[in-house]
Amino acid sequence: MQSLSARLLLSVSVLLLIFFSTSTVVLENAFKHATERAIHDRLVIQLNMLLSAADVPDEGELRLPESLPEARFSIPGSGLFGQVTDATGALVWRSPSSVGVFVPLADSLTPAAQVFTEEVATDGTPVFALSEGIEWVVSDDETRFYTFSVAEDEESFLAQVRDFRARLLTLFGALTLLMIVILAVILRWVLSPLRRLSREVDDIEAGRRSELGSGYPRELEGLTENANRLIHMEIQRINHYRNTLGNLAHSLKTPLAVIRNSLLPLPSESAGSIGEQVDRMNSIVRYQLQRAAAFGGATLGRDPIQVDRMARMVKESLDKVYADKHPECQLELDPDARFFGDEGDLTEVLGNLMDNAYKYSESRTAVTATSRESEKHTRPGLSIRIEDDGPGIAADDVRRVLSRGVRADEQVDGHGIGLAVVRDIVKMYGGRLEVSGSGLGGACIDVTFEPF
Amino acid sequence: MRILVIEDEQALRESLCDTLRDAGFVVDAAADGTEGLYFGTEYPVDLAIVDLGLPGKSGMEVIRELREQGRKYPVLILTARDRWQDKVEGLHAGADDYVVKPFHVEEILARVNALLRRAGGFAASVLQCGPVTLDTRSQEVTVDGRAVELTSYEYRLLEYLMLKPGKVVSKTELTESLYEQDYDRDSNVIEVFIGRLRRKLDPESSLKPIETLRGRGYRFALEATA
Repeated sequence: MQSLSARLLLSVSVLLLIFFSTSTVVLENAFKHATERAIHDRLVIQLNMLLSAADVPDEGELRLPESLPEARFSIPGSGLFGQVTDATGALVWRSPSSVGVFVPLADSLTPAAQVFTEEVATDGTPVFALSEGIEWVVSDDETRFYTFSVAEDEESFLAQVRDFRARLLTLFGALTLLMIVILAVILRWVLSPLRRLSREVDDIEAGRRSELGSGYPRELEGLTENANRLIHMEIQRINHYRNTLGNLAHSLKTPLAVIRNSLLPLPSESAGSIGEQVDRMNSIVRYQLQRAAAFGGATLGRDPIQVDRMARMVKESLDKVYADKHPECQLELDPDARFFGDEGDLTEVLGNLMDNAYKYSESRTAVTATSRESEKHTRPGLSIRIEDDGPGIAADDVRRVLSRGVRADEQVDGHGIGLAVVRDIVKMYGGRLEVSGSGLGGACIDVTFEPF
Repeated sequence: MRILVIEDEQALRESLCDTLRDAGFVVDAAADGTEGLYFGTEYPVDLAIVDLGLPGKSGMEVIRELREQGRKYPVLILTARDRWQDKVEGLHAGADDYVVKPFHVEEILARVNALLRRAGGFAASVLQCGPVTLDTRSQEVTVDGRAVELTSYEYRLLEYLMLKPGKVVSKTELTESLYEQDYDRDSNVIEVFIGRLRRKLDPESSLKPIETLRGRGYRFALEATA
């Protein structure tokens, strides 16, 4: 259950279901009870009616007239039954309506005892039955005992209960539905800032915006402000880190420059070995600091870098530096090609690779950048190819540079350090670096970042 | 040729200045960006060497402000930072080349000479004007294939004139390109150097490579052929 709305809707639906089904049961019971009472009262009236209609002569048995005030006693199948038994339980009278049907009714009740039961007639219909013991004083010295019973089938009662239940269910069902719909609308409204938040985070991830917007509800403001602060702090932190590394490089290398230049007046043997060590220290400082300064990884809150703009800037720079070669650098840059990462890292990749290309070329170099679009991913990938018409890179050197764990001071100058730094940066971003031969005649270096 | 060096590390600045002076350049040295910018805008500088990691006003700002104020002479960056972002930014701000520390002074000299030559419009490292050739790398001068021995002052003077072929160069400009600021400008040392150069390049007086324009200055008369 990943969605907050789904969770809320589900739990509220369960709650409503429990509430309404309990209500239905309680209400139905109350209704049944009330209805039963009403039937009981009605049966008492019928019983009293039978009592008042009965006549006990001095001689002979109790009699009831042919036609009773309640016609249903006389009509077979009317659903209303009457019966009178004497003290021994022998049947004294039975209403004509009970022809063909036998209703088991209580008998031999003590006087004034009243029994209200539910019975089942022989034809299967359930009935409510009321019986009462009657003490009939015939004369001063004769008292007879009878049991009067009336019964009414439950059909109408059951129909009323069914009807009541149906209405209750319809009403509650409609109410539940209505409440869920209203709840869904409310949820949409209440959760809309969260949806906006998620959209904005997506945008930041895709590089379409640099921070979360304002105007969030109070409960979320703390979160969004902290997130923005985090994004900015991350950028500041890496800038600070880079500056520190830059200063470190500066303060290490300036003394190295002084040492190197103080070697000139020394005899060439000692100058040579000191110079070698200075070069080695320089290589280590250069490689390690360049590597450490690489940012790599996540780039929240930063715009993706336009590869074409950056490649053009590097080209302009190198055109100046290698002016004597009359460099011809052919750029084929997809304006959509973007690098989702740190600007310094892209400059490092392009700078090192293009510098190598210019350095080893006769005059011609080529830089191609293409975007790798993908339906499935939010961020397109990127392919960069850098070629030159120089002598190419020896297979041994390629293997050495591209294999893991090569130490900085083992790197040869030239393609070495630059390519190793590029290798590390590309790896940090999960990209690939491939070296092959170019159609121009020299080296061809492919850097590929898959869409993600 | 007058070169401005802006470098805060004293030992490095001094060794750089010595090397450049030994090579016959006039050198102005500044230890921070503000002073450097002042020298760069007030002195007739032909090339500036700027360290990017300066205290106070950064090297990048110095370069940007020099360019904003219309100074077009070449700028060579010294940087300890290997990150390409710094190099690209510096070159984008208006610098023309960079050298990463630590460096060999020979490397600096080679870059300086190449930049000066390029600024003069010569693409190759050998300047050729008619029969006169000047190799900025080996600092050798030949006329019709005959080697000419020049002192470093004479060489710088000839290089300066050859890098501005067809243009009139005033005596003051030449003085400033050869001597540091407090030199007596009224001296006629330039005339003496020009006279020596003429004799060495053109002993028969048939070529007449350097013209004198009275009251205005001198001009290298031979057209650049390479």
